[in-house]
Amino acid sequence: MQTLNNEAKTNQTKKYSLIDTDIHERVMYEDLFPYLEQPWRRYIEDCNWQQEKHMPFTQPAVAGVDRADAKTPDGKPAGTSLPFMQEQLLDANNHEVGILTGALDPSPSSMHGWYEMATALASAYNDWQINEWLDKDSRLYGSVHIAAQEVGNAVKEIERVGSHPKMIQVLLPIDDIAWGDPYYHPIFEAAERHDLMIGMHHNEPPAPLGKWPRYFIEWHSLIATSHMAQITSMIFNGVFEKYPKLKLMMIEGGFTYVPFLMKKLDQQFKDLRHEVPWVTTMPSDTIKNRMAFTTQPLEEMSRKEWNLLVEQMGTDEIICFSTDYPHWDYDSPDEAVPKGLEDDVLERIYGENARKFYPKLPARGDI
Amino acid sequence: MAAVICREEELEKQEMIPGSVDNIPVFVCRTSEGEIRAFIDRCPHQGACMSKGKIDGAPMSTAPGEYSFEHEGDIVRCPWHGREYNLRESGKPLAPVKGKLKEFSAYVKDSYVYVELKRGS
Repeated sequence: MQTLNNEAKTNQTKKYSLIDTDIHERVMYEDLFPYLEQPWRRYIEDCNWQQEKHMPFTQPAVAGVDRADAKTPDGKPAGTSLPFMQEQLLDANNHEVGILTGALDPSPSSMHGWYEMATALASAYNDWQINEWLDKDSRLYGSVHIAAQEVGNAVKEIERVGSHPKMIQVLLPIDDIAWGDPYYHPIFEAAERHDLMIGMHHNEPPAPLGKWPRYFIEWHSLIATSHMAQITSMIFNGVFEKYPKLKLMMIEGGFTYVPFLMKKLDQQFKDLRHEVPWVTTMPSDTIKNRMAFTTQPLEEMSRKEWNLLVEQMGTDEIICFSTDYPHWDYDSPDEAVPKGLEDDVLERIYGENARKFYPKLPARGDI
Repeated sequence: MAAVICREEELEKQEMIPGSVDNIPVFVCRTSEGEIRAFIDRCPHQGACMSKGKIDGAPMSTAPGEYSFEHEGDIVRCPWHGREYNLRESGKPLAPVKGKLKEFSAYVKDSYVYVELKRGS
């Protein structure tokens, strides 16, 4: 049988435990119906209700925003089939762990209004995720989806599913809310109670001008700026001092912006500490000790360029490999990372950094 | 070394038929003028299987804001990142970067399409 693709030629990752920190499973609304109570279901079934889309772009690649070869064999959208994902991604690349980061179109926390519907959707999604994915593949771990606009309901949802052994983070979209705002702190408190970390993944933020740029390439080039805004918000609102066990995974922004941000935040903090006196740690130390960054979309670079970035950050223990499967800008485990990195570096970025970051992930070899 | 990939009549324009020669993955296709070409079935960027992509044209321009759709039937696009390679220019990428899609020699004999592992022209 012909393999699904011709990657894995070098089998680089076969030597390492691969923890993929960004995989997008996708739900179709009708698949949520068994988990969605009335009256919410009827608005989708009878009225064709859909979440509002923010992003006006669908054009990046051959099949839009998905890999063209990731459509399921029966013609359904990429990411909707566990067996196909197992075959095309998890088995083909020898994943030890895959962390699901969802694709709830775009996210309950991104809805502008009807937060009760958002809350119901988040609950249904979490139950669907647990039943249809996490309970069916020992390699998969999940993210708690919430509707954060009504923080009390968000906390209830974290309390409801956060103790599931395979839920490892609370997912917040990077969109038009700055999550460091004290209004949202009960979410962090609830996450901390359940040993959940916070994952932030951009959904459809209108970076960088508060509105959409003219071209997709402009928006996609500047996604990291929306990640920088969230990191800055979380640090200077004192989240990490207030919740000492909490950590933050920045998903799908890569890491090459981090050296700049460390320098910039430290410099600002030296001068402007008086405005945020609750912050007691240098921002670069908070980034090193309390955050991590998924690699994709990793810019093509040499080993020398990689090492220069790591030297500026002072650590490579905050870099966690991710594929972003099944999206168009997927990074191949065997091809995306520069050739020639040392074995111990590869072991950290492919798996051990993520294992250290998420307390609910199993010890190596325990799956 | 050469190997049969398909029957000549099976190969339509804007289609790619994958196969292998000496364990090297290849695909055959036709240009917009019907000439048969063969390339490695592996994107030089990250190794995606090119034959799962699309043969298409390409937007081109001579000034900001102006689009023209050119090279129709002569551009193969990677199924992942969508990188574009020109079938009629030995797999040259449309972006100004290194890394052609490696071309091999293709020929028809007794109604079958063969690919030979020496480099195409």
